[in-house]
Amino acid sequence: MKNLIKKIHLTFTIIITKITIWLLRLLDRGGTSLPGKVALKIYPDILTELADKFRIIMITGTNGKTTTSRIAAGMLEQSGIMHVTNKSGANLVSGIATTLISSLTLTGKARVRTALLETDEAAFKRIAPKLKPEVCIVTNFFRDQLDRYGELYTTLNSVREGIIGTPETVLILNADDSLCASLGKGISNPVIYFGIAPDVYPEANLNINNDAAYCINCSTRYEYSSVTFAHLGHFKCPKCGYERPEAQVECSQVLAYDNLSSTIEIRLPEMKFSTKLALPGLYNIYNALAGASLGKYLGLDEKGLIHVLEGFECGFGRMESVNVMNREIKLILVKNPTGYNQVIKYLLTQKGHCVLALLLSDNLADGTDISWIWDVDFEILSFMKERIRAFHVSGKRAEDMAVRLKYAGIEQDNIKIEHDWNKLIDNIINDAGEQETIYVLPTYTAMLDIRKVLKNRFKLKEFWK
Amino acid sequence: MYELTICHLYPDLMNLYGDRGNIITLTKRCQWRGIEVKIIPVSLGDEFRYKDYDIIFIGGGQDYEQTILQDDLMRSKRQPIIEAVESSKVVLGICGGFQLLGKYYRTHTGSEIECIGALDLWTHGGETRLIGNLVIECDFLKGKDPQGYVVGFENHSGKTYLGEGVKPLGKVIKGFGNNGEDGFEGAIYKNTYCSYSHGSLLPKNPVLADHLITLALLNKYPDFMGLEPLSDTLEQQAHDTVIARIISE
Ligand SMILES: [Zn+2]
Repeated sequence: MKNLIKKIHLTFTIIITKITIWLLRLLDRGGTSLPGKVALKIYPDILTELADKFRIIMITGTNGKTTTSRIAAGMLEQSGIMHVTNKSGANLVSGIATTLISSLTLTGKARVRTALLETDEAAFKRIAPKLKPEVCIVTNFFRDQLDRYGELYTTLNSVREGIIGTPETVLILNADDSLCASLGKGISNPVIYFGIAPDVYPEANLNINNDAAYCINCSTRYEYSSVTFAHLGHFKCPKCGYERPEAQVECSQVLAYDNLSSTIEIRLPEMKFSTKLALPGLYNIYNALAGASLGKYLGLDEKGLIHVLEGFECGFGRMESVNVMNREIKLILVKNPTGYNQVIKYLLTQKGHCVLALLLSDNLADGTDISWIWDVDFEILSFMKERIRAFHVSGKRAEDMAVRLKYAGIEQDNIKIEHDWNKLIDNIINDAGEQETIYVLPTYTAMLDIRKVLKNRFKLKEFWK
Repeated sequence: MYELTICHLYPDLMNLYGDRGNIITLTKRCQWRGIEVKIIPVSLGDEFRYKDYDIIFIGGGQDYEQTILQDDLMRSKRQPIIEAVESSKVVLGICGGFQLLGKYYRTHTGSEIECIGALDLWTHGGETRLIGNLVIECDFLKGKDPQGYVVGFENHSGKTYLGEGVKPLGKVIKGFGNNGEDGFEGAIYKNTYCSYSHGSLLPKNPVLADHLITLALLNKYPDFMGLEPLSDTLEQQAHDTVIARIISE
């Protein structure tokens, strides 16, 4: 009897949720969180019910969640595993509930049995113990939107709490991140570590303003034998001995890299191969390694792994490019200092003249505190300023960005503030010569805004689906 | 040729959210006027001789990092910091740095952490975080700025209370301030200035930045005649647009 009531309750919840999804679609509002909210209201423990119906792979961490999810999706496809996945931005409890319920039949059967879920770090501790994922990838931990998450260590501990609640889950962890790697200590879960071998990347540097300079166990300053970026590298605590664990999936050489790609050698147990990633920058090597670790776990061979890694291209929010009036506009999402610094380094590798537009907004999804722009090394831009035709700033906090550029050594006269998106687009196109590139670096909501204007204005149907 | 030496205390630990912006601003505003600036980082295990510096800066940190420096601070830096404050050195304490300059921090579970005690103020840990844009009115800046408004962003759970002899930095126009109760923000004692507004406090409030630079120069060069004005169009625009928006919210 009790079971029957439960079943009716569940079916009722699924039907109501699906109606909400349909209604939103009818109204042409692609809402991803409201249906899940409705479901959680009617059936608070819906995630536990859904857990039994799916084989779940979760991805969390500060940077690289979306790119890693997309590579992981490639690995699943290559393995012939049909799956559902949540859109980035729908990575809280409600968005995840919506994603899972959408792929159920009305009677509650899963149409696709595997779910790949990008999960917000702060929400992870509540979601993971309920969903009991088979595999969980943690990319890294950096400061990001402290106004939302509180402190970095609070975020780390939230993920740790989630992991303690799922002792069976296979963990894929970043060995080079002392914070992330610490999740693998003192637990019984199987762990696969990924990382970059010492001294393989030529542009590594040690930044003293880093997020985790002191040992997480005993507060002694770590010693590094090599650093890739920020606090990532081969760390060792001279006092308690906590050190970078051995990586089972390792980038053993960087053979070549340019502004669009890097060619790397990856070493796994019983295999070693070279592959060309169609993604620029060191941070994407980490994302590729995380994805390759999942591929290896799924049993892919060398050929399969290479096929996925080489076939991968940037998706929404990372880097998008469009041709407008003989100029290339490149949009690259920026959201925190570490990511921003990587993008600036990428700009340094670019050749020829270009135009820059830095868009800073402070809506909830961007982070309401914009102080973090002072942690970004905009000073580096002054090394290439003779190649930059103009610095445009826009977004709700355009003036703050203008001040930041001025204090980074950019001449006041070369910084242009424009709040109107349409006028901004006119200006950047005017300032760029034919065949030149315009780099637009927006925070999250500024990205959504500028995309919409670009799309309407240039009738760009085929791009950014 | 004027010269200033700025000490950045615990830059590797107390650097929460853009605190570096304050150092960059002090440096640039000096350099643009031909004043030479040296930045000296002083961290764990380093000797701290306050007489070597003209401006001492301590930013905010996360709880974890503040516990790391506690011993070092109390053992080797507490006394010289008290002497620096008493001898009218220019000191700027932001967020956690502000709290550390006070007498103690009582966590919301009731345990008390002893602090430097250079200023008669104390902090009680709160349950909720006080987060958001902040506008305050500072009387001492009114000669330079029509309203004496300073704008920033606060994010703290500690509630700070001022004792006698310590004045607030300003009156809260928008935001929470020291404790969300008494309507005041920050602290001033001699040439020590404290605020909960982190990160871009000085960049967006050039008048306050110049006030601190002037005090430091006067300490070192008693015949100093005052700073040359700079073209602050962008800074002023950032200051004004944010204030207009926050006040109308
Ligand atoms: Zn240790």
